[in-house]
Amino acid sequence: MEINLKDLLKKYKSHPYEDHEIRTPHTGVVHINVEDGQEVSGPTGLWNHRPGTLLYVLEREGNPKHITSKYTGFVTKLRKELDGSFVQAGEPVMLIRHRLNKEEIIDRILREVLYIFPAPQRARYFFTPEVSAAMEKDKKKAINLKEGDEILIMSLMKRDTLLSYEGPAGVLYKVYFKHGDLMEQGTPLLGICSPERLPFVEKMIQRIRTEWDD
Amino acid sequence: MKRDKIIIANRGEIAIRIMRACRQLGLDYVVVYTEEDRHSGHVRAATVEKGKGAAFKIANYKDPNEIFAVADHCGATAVHPGYGFFSEDFRFARRAAARNRPITFIGPRWEVIRDLGSKINTKRIAKALKIPVIPGSDEPIYSELEAESLAEDLFQKQREDGVKRPSILVKASAGGGGMGIEEVTHLDVFRQVYRRIQNYAKRQFGDEGVLIEQCMKDYHHLEVQLLCSRHKEVVHFGTRNCTIQSTGRQKRVEVAPGFDPDYVAYPFDAQKVLDQIVEYSIRLAKEVEYDNVGTWEWIVTRDGKPYLLEVNTRIQVENEISACISRISRYKGPVNLIKEQIRTALGEKLRYSQKHVSFEGTSIELRIVAEDVKRGFAPWCGTITRFEFRQEPWLRVYSHVPQDEPYEIPTEYDPNLALAIVWGKDTEEAKTRAKEFLLNTNIEGKDNLGRPIVTNLQYLYRKVDDILRFV
Repeated sequence: MEINLKDLLKKYKSHPYEDHEIRTPHTGVVHINVEDGQEVSGPTGLWNHRPGTLLYVLEREGNPKHITSKYTGFVTKLRKELDGSFVQAGEPVMLIRHRLNKEEIIDRILREVLYIFPAPQRARYFFTPEVSAAMEKDKKKAINLKEGDEILIMSLMKRDTLLSYEGPAGVLYKVYFKHGDLMEQGTPLLGICSPERLPFVEKMIQRIRTEWDD
Repeated sequence: MKRDKIIIANRGEIAIRIMRACRQLGLDYVVVYTEEDRHSGHVRAATVEKGKGAAFKIANYKDPNEIFAVADHCGATAVHPGYGFFSEDFRFARRAAARNRPITFIGPRWEVIRDLGSKINTKRIAKALKIPVIPGSDEPIYSELEAESLAEDLFQKQREDGVKRPSILVKASAGGGGMGIEEVTHLDVFRQVYRRIQNYAKRQFGDEGVLIEQCMKDYHHLEVQLLCSRHKEVVHFGTRNCTIQSTGRQKRVEVAPGFDPDYVAYPFDAQKVLDQIVEYSIRLAKEVEYDNVGTWEWIVTRDGKPYLLEVNTRIQVENEISACISRISRYKGPVNLIKEQIRTALGEKLRYSQKHVSFEGTSIELRIVAEDVKRGFAPWCGTITRFEFRQEPWLRVYSHVPQDEPYEIPTEYDPNLALAIVWGKDTEEAKTRAKEFLLNTNIEGKDNLGRPIVTNLQYLYRKVDDILRFV
């Protein structure tokens, strides 16, 4: 697969933004804490341990939940009329327009370079206990995959199904889900890189790091 | 009671049946739904009848905070859990009763749910009352060595009893509804299965406790339907036979009554066994002061020996076949057990006793599911484009699948499509009608690769011939 890195970078440079819709995670009374157009920051600190800007508080059953920004950017399409009212789950409250940084650009481009093993169904995904244990034991050790390896458990309609890897043999380079996440059909689960392609990928990442200006 | 407002904390066809019961009792209600269920028939039916304010979108049916937040917001005074979800969660029932703004839990008292919700505890109480139970563990096992030792004992006991192919069942202790159960036929694969079930139990229920018991072969799965009130009244609505199940032990065809000696010649006194399991069930209900609807599940072996399996402290999917064959002499019209459940939970007296209840005919429930019977009942995902059946006076169909627009089956839940309840004056007529219904039902749809829908309609048609028989 040929990748024109120059064109890809040009595309991202012309529109280096992503809009993130902020929806209520559950029911409750909303108390909005930001204004339209306001700049907000995402989590900071070495381990992202300092939460981002407080966007709104969602109070349910007397428990306030502080919803902070996961993205750095600015607020648009704020629905100020919701302030103080009871809302249902999944209610859109605002958009945050976020400028992609160097690492995010690398992540987006990697999706086009790696072999992506997508979710076959809309389901929850887990690594098999054996793979989980191997990852837990040595986080730095590469996991090599070949066709037919039982790597994932797909939990669908309360039934667990073992998923075998289908695709070229290679190293598990990127994991796109967290243990037990509900993943839409077709969304990436794993990114696999063939051993011979590894040097190219490393070089490409280096080049983006040099060329992209945060 | 008329001032009560019910929040229906469930989905699909049971939500629709609860709405119907509320309507018959003149009670107001609200429903909840998740993003995946936004096109479900229960949401549409509620908004058509009560307006947009009668349906609330929540994050998850299994989040109690969501249910209580909506209950408070809309002024609900009682919560109906349906089946599954919170229906057998004693902590939820206790919280409903103990919170600052208490609401009535439509089900038994939380103490009863706690005591009978545990299969192990039920087994202990039953043993003390001299009610027969299946040999096996009477507490959850967390140690592999302990589990293996018990498994060995159970295999040994079966060999001594002359069982030709001894086997045991490994079950998730916190599970139910047939989920998380595997059969082991050789001791040397026991550890592997034990670990698999333990992992499954931890993922699905957050508790890795496992139960082990002798696997009974060649038996019928019977149920006794009880209705008890807060005033210590106990009435039974007969028995059901739920033997026809998928490989995952999910019920597919149910029949009331549990045995029919006029239809099948049994090698034992069938009526005597039915009377016996009803008597045992009532004995246990009285002991724990049971106070709502409940189902006592039994297995009856080919030689007519009954063993108590568990008690389901909730309304069952198949409750309506019992209602369908029951007549209450003081009541006009058909019996509705969900209505009775709500009435008794809200503190009303039954206003009738066992002598007023009689039984007429046979009723069959058919569970129509999008599943591939030939591939181990694998669930089918996709969009239904056509769902049609012929209306009959002897038929009731409950479904959340719309008949006038495409419906995408949510992958978050079981792919159940509809329940059909058929009545006949005897078993032969009920069978003929069940087959007639299946022949006149059309379901069309496609999955995301354009392949046609797979359902269990043909399987149900074949299985109707097997009802009530030891085959």
